[in-house]
Amino acid sequence: MTDAKQQTPFDVLQYLRQELMPHFLCPGCGHGIALRALLWAVHELGIEKDNLAIVSGIGCAGRTGAYIDANTFHTTHGRPLAFATGLKLARPDLEVIVITGDGDCLAIGGNHLIHAARRNLDITCLMLNNEVYGMTGGQVSPTTSEDRYTTTTPLGNTEAVFDACKLAEGAGATFVGREVTVQTPTLKNLILGGIAHDGFAFIEVISDCTEIYGRKNDLGSSAEMILSQKSAMRPETFENNIIDRPFRPNALPTGVLAHDKTRPEYGAAYRASIKAQQTKK
Amino acid sequence: MSKTEANANRHNVQGNHACALAAIAAGCRFYAGYPITPSSEVAERMSLELPKVGGVFIQMEDEIASMGAVLGASMGGLKAMTATSGPGFSLKQEHIGYGILAETPSVVINVMRGGPSTGMPTRPSQGDVMQARWGTHGDHTAIVLAPASVAEVYTETVRAFNLAEQLRSPVIVLFDEIIGHLVETIQLPAPESLQLIERKWADAPKEGYLPYAAGDDMIPPMPRPGDGYRSHTTGLTHDESGFPTQDPAKAEAMLARLINKVERHRDVVDAADMMATEDADILVVAYGTPARAARRAVKEAREQGIKLGLFRPITLWPFPERAFLAAAKSAKRIIVAEMNAGQLLLEIERIAGRERVSPLLRFDGEHIAPDEILDAVGKAA
Amino acid sequence: MTPESTNANNNDRRHEIRFAGSGGQGLQLSAKILAYALIGEGLYASQSQSYEPTSRGGLSRADLVIGPDEPDFPLATAADFILLLDQVAANDGAKIIKPGGTIITDQRLVPSPPSGDFRLLALPITDTAIAIGNPRIANVVALGVLNALAALASREALEAAVGALTPAKFRELNLEALKAGYGMAEAETAESAA
Repeated sequence: MTDAKQQTPFDVLQYLRQELMPHFLCPGCGHGIALRALLWAVHELGIEKDNLAIVSGIGCAGRTGAYIDANTFHTTHGRPLAFATGLKLARPDLEVIVITGDGDCLAIGGNHLIHAARRNLDITCLMLNNEVYGMTGGQVSPTTSEDRYTTTTPLGNTEAVFDACKLAEGAGATFVGREVTVQTPTLKNLILGGIAHDGFAFIEVISDCTEIYGRKNDLGSSAEMILSQKSAMRPETFENNIIDRPFRPNALPTGVLAHDKTRPEYGAAYRASIKAQQTKK
Repeated sequence: MSKTEANANRHNVQGNHACALAAIAAGCRFYAGYPITPSSEVAERMSLELPKVGGVFIQMEDEIASMGAVLGASMGGLKAMTATSGPGFSLKQEHIGYGILAETPSVVINVMRGGPSTGMPTRPSQGDVMQARWGTHGDHTAIVLAPASVAEVYTETVRAFNLAEQLRSPVIVLFDEIIGHLVETIQLPAPESLQLIERKWADAPKEGYLPYAAGDDMIPPMPRPGDGYRSHTTGLTHDESGFPTQDPAKAEAMLARLINKVERHRDVVDAADMMATEDADILVVAYGTPARAARRAVKEAREQGIKLGLFRPITLWPFPERAFLAAAKSAKRIIVAEMNAGQLLLEIERIAGRERVSPLLRFDGEHIAPDEILDAVGKAA
Repeated sequence: MTPESTNANNNDRRHEIRFAGSGGQGLQLSAKILAYALIGEGLYASQSQSYEPTSRGGLSRADLVIGPDEPDFPLATAADFILLLDQVAANDGAKIIKPGGTIITDQRLVPSPPSGDFRLLALPITDTAIAIGNPRIANVVALGVLNALAALASREALEAAVGALTPAKFRELNLEALKAGYGMAEAETAESAA
């Protein structure tokens, strides 16, 4: 981290592979805002692009990694945390950040999430939660709100919703936070805190899928969706807090939800145990 | 050299342990795995040996994660390995395919047990020959080695790492439970006597760098994270830039190169052992433990005046067809002996013609004994 | 092969030895000690064992196939010697005896020894181990008997192997057990010669 870097104004284009534009995200998708917040945090932390490793899974969230001008690894569905674990253990010098979605991280990849949280390796996991499998056409996900319509819940969703942050914290994640995209500077600060944290950081970004999920559930335009996110999650910021179509029927807490600095980081602890063994001999 | 000196490097080593020792000697510095009979001793030994050389061992949450972590570590620049058995091998298949497409060097050990499903965990089998070839989806090549002794587990594990590095591909080492648990006297090679291959690292100019552009050898040098290339790696079909493409010409070119790069290097990939094949009337084709039974059967048959020979593929896939055709030249009958319901048999029938080939198959969890081969030879003669 | 033959080193024939009994008797260790000693003789051994779901009490066996080079076939098919230390192993364990081979049984633990075309030596192996001080060293007494009769490894190499592969605090006891096994075999050979 250098002061000079911090003084440079953040220009998102410096961190993007502009030759790949236009990007594939739908108009109104919240993932682009999340990506901007991530790169802003990277910029403020002064992380060199050469030392940044982005590991992503499959889905709309997973595809965003390719636009970042860094070492990018687009892996398999649900398994970016497994790849990232190998990469970080092999290369502790790299800043390893995982970008995943709610289906990728909580359904097919749920096992890897809880064990990455338990292990406490220094990886930042950014889960972009848009409540739906967007890339495959809008099927129900573990975070789809109750009664919502998707292409596989034509009668409305009857399954319970995963609280990803509680799950991560329960599994032992030492940094846990949640933020909405419309609060971009706050989101940036949360991500910055997660990356700076020496251990496993889990950050849930409340994103929105306007094109598929919003349309199917009559949640309004993108602007309406992200404003309703904000009003649901941060009712104190709205004076006249009347939401007839809340993005999420049940508001979830935002901000830093857990931060434990006492647990040792896994990679450092493993290397220390080897060193201790060698000196014993 | 005194007797003591001559015997100094000889040790009684279990097959699974020999695999671990060879991996360390070959430069493996990362292991991720999940416990499964009958391969767990590989992981146990790696957990002991890797810290001694500054490497990393990790027991992952499942088989899938193990292969993912191996690929991740390899992308970071370490030689990496995992070991498993049938059910775990099934679970790793998607990531093996990723390794083939993204060209990520890695070594996968499969100590075969009975199947399908949980099958017979402590009984030997050779039921994964076709899974090793075609387990992952899509068109692809597979590099699969099949040692037949503890000594060969050592040499083939070293070779697996060399091929993985040279060809930028996952390499699979298959052996049956008997060889995994067998303890044999082996001569451990001096580390400096081993010829080790490291992958080519990218050193091209960064401006306009194309991570998947290959030269005549069809193998693109690998960009190392941190070296400034900032390239993209994906399991999506991609062009030379590394970014996804759906352009038919580019898609075809990429897959054709992946297949042809293995064909181009058949001189280092192929390996087979021939015994008394020059004048053989009857040829046994066997690999792994049945090949050991065949070795004795050939000697006993020759003592009885029966012209029996043995063709033993050490590389199972791609099948060393040229060497086989030479070995099978004089054979009127070919007996394929394997511990499954007929897998390599299909390949031999394809090459030699069904009318020349007889199966000698066991899939009851028991080995094939030398006498069974001699009986089959007696019937064929 | 006859029990009086010289070291396996001196001819190129293979030798097959089976150790059979119940889990926990230390037979895998006996096989390991012998295989270790054979390295010093310039020989190659392939050692296999039965894998049963239970660690203790069930049938346990360890087979050694020994030769001047890597054995062609690594599994035992016709054993020259079989050591039987438990009745539980008497039937299955003895099946692969070579015609004219030798089966050594423990008098106390194998009350109904097998019979057939082989030499049977029923010896007080466990009783001797108890007399020395611990029934758990019966596996090493038995190893002494076996190697004295089979002449596979030199006595010095076997003693060195016992020293290398057994815990230091039991070393003296184990060497005494080995010596007792040799004594028993010598007495048996003298008796059959007389």
